[in-house]
Amino acid sequence: MGEVELSCLAYVKMYLHACLFPRCSVNGLLLSSSPAGGAVCVTDCVPLLHTHLPLAPITQLALTQVDVWCAQTQQRIVGYYQANACVSDSSPTPCALKIADKIAEQCNNAVLLMIDGGKMSPDYRVPPIVMYERKDTRWTLKDKHTIMLRQWEETRDIASQLLDSGDHSLLVDFDSHLDDITRDWTNQKLNAKIAELASPANDNLGVCQLGNPVLR
Amino acid sequence: MASVSEMYDVTWEEMRDKLRKWREDNHRNSEQIVDVGEELINEHASKLGDDIWIIYEQVMIAALDCSRDDLAWVSSPSDMSSSSEQGTCLQELKRQFPGSQRVKRLAGMRLEALEKYEDASKQYDSILQDDPTNTAARKRKISILKAQGKSAEAIRELNEYLEQFVGDQEAWHELSELYINEHDYGKAAFCLEELMMTNPHNHLYCEQYAEVKYTQGGLENLELSRKYFAQALKLNNRNMRALFGLYMSASHIAASPKVNATVKKANVKYATWATNQINRAYQLAGRGTKENKCSVKAVEEMLESITMS
Repeated sequence: MGEVELSCLAYVKMYLHACLFPRCSVNGLLLSSSPAGGAVCVTDCVPLLHTHLPLAPITQLALTQVDVWCAQTQQRIVGYYQANACVSDSSPTPCALKIADKIAEQCNNAVLLMIDGGKMSPDYRVPPIVMYERKDTRWTLKDKHTIMLRQWEETRDIASQLLDSGDHSLLVDFDSHLDDITRDWTNQKLNAKIAELASPANDNLGVCQLGNPVLR
Repeated sequence: MASVSEMYDVTWEEMRDKLRKWREDNHRNSEQIVDVGEELINEHASKLGDDIWIIYEQVMIAALDCSRDDLAWVSSPSDMSSSSEQGTCLQELKRQFPGSQRVKRLAGMRLEALEKYEDASKQYDSILQDDPTNTAARKRKISILKAQGKSAEAIRELNEYLEQFVGDQEAWHELSELYINEHDYGKAAFCLEELMMTNPHNHLYCEQYAEVKYTQGGLENLELSRKYFAQALKLNNRNMRALFGLYMSASHIAASPKVNATVKKANVKYATWATNQINRAYQLAGRGTKENKCSVKAVEEMLESITMS
């Protein structure tokens, strides 16, 4: 299948979401602002839940709201991510598969991304993620060589910086939004902070393909 | 880095009282407990009197939760020089209360944090040998099963535990969570029913029960879910999940081909009421902050589109 590119913004927010709730399973949606067709470019993500992932009402509500927001901002839902509470098991749960299936109904090359908690040590060299794509009706592991993160080392450093400074607590997921609806689940504030830390793009440096870790 | 007392301008008494409040409310804000507790222990130990022992226990558990093994216990003799002057929590507790079951449990928890589950289990078994009614040790054993991903066994053990200790709220709630993760919604609902019976004023249990019923699906369950979302709102009219839940369940019932006109009409009324409440809540929230304009707009559109269909 096709290539998938994961942007700095999407990766950092996903990663921080998992770090913000280390004792819970967390999940969220992957978004793209590029038109359909060709490689999938995940340009943003919306963190959803950290409690009761398998329960339907809030998930349905979140999907509807994110759909509406995407229509307003010319984005599409192209995938789903999840990080399991149990660090030793990073395989997709039934509810992950269910939601990913639903997304795949609307988006041909939707991706399912699992964050591998076991690989999230302070000095990890390769992105701690595992991606799945839909082949026929089953979700199968994606070839690592087709997954790209531009400026990987910089992205990783941005995530660490935000963690160290405690700014990861700025992240609002849908669950937190329902606890206090003045909080913004589109995370405009955090997005701005991440953009600030990201240096001007130079596409030729530090491209990381998951199959070939950048060796320094 | 500035001390807690400097950053928040608090006295040691206020810090001690805050720790007590967190203890009584059983908060799991471990990072905060470690920050406040560590400073209290290092700077003000002499003033705390007998309170210090319970603070050691509280801080130790929080330290384990944050992987602060240096605070909980030194991991090897060579680390002795780098540990804080007063010695670490577990050491102090062991020294003061040799042979105590309560301290033994803490030692077990530390083994769990180091993922030495076999050793931890043996520790708890030895506690249970001396005292078969020790609920803490039994619950730790179940936690080990959960940490190892052995959900089926954890569920079985927890059920056995609850046969004996039927009033343990925490255990009932834990069991409901385990069942939800296994997608066994019927049994999760049963646990939540137990909790609602003993805690009729707790809006969170009502709302969780409603969510489980909604997930089970089918007209009867949807109607039950709507009733319990409404009940949760009665107990706390600011519970947004319950409000949205009421809206969604009522809309689904109204849209179902199996209901008669009266039921349909009633549910449209409930859904409309909920819509207005949601709108109001978001209008109030949207005032003054530019940030959540996106979410407010998204809700408006969502409600418009559903009321039109």
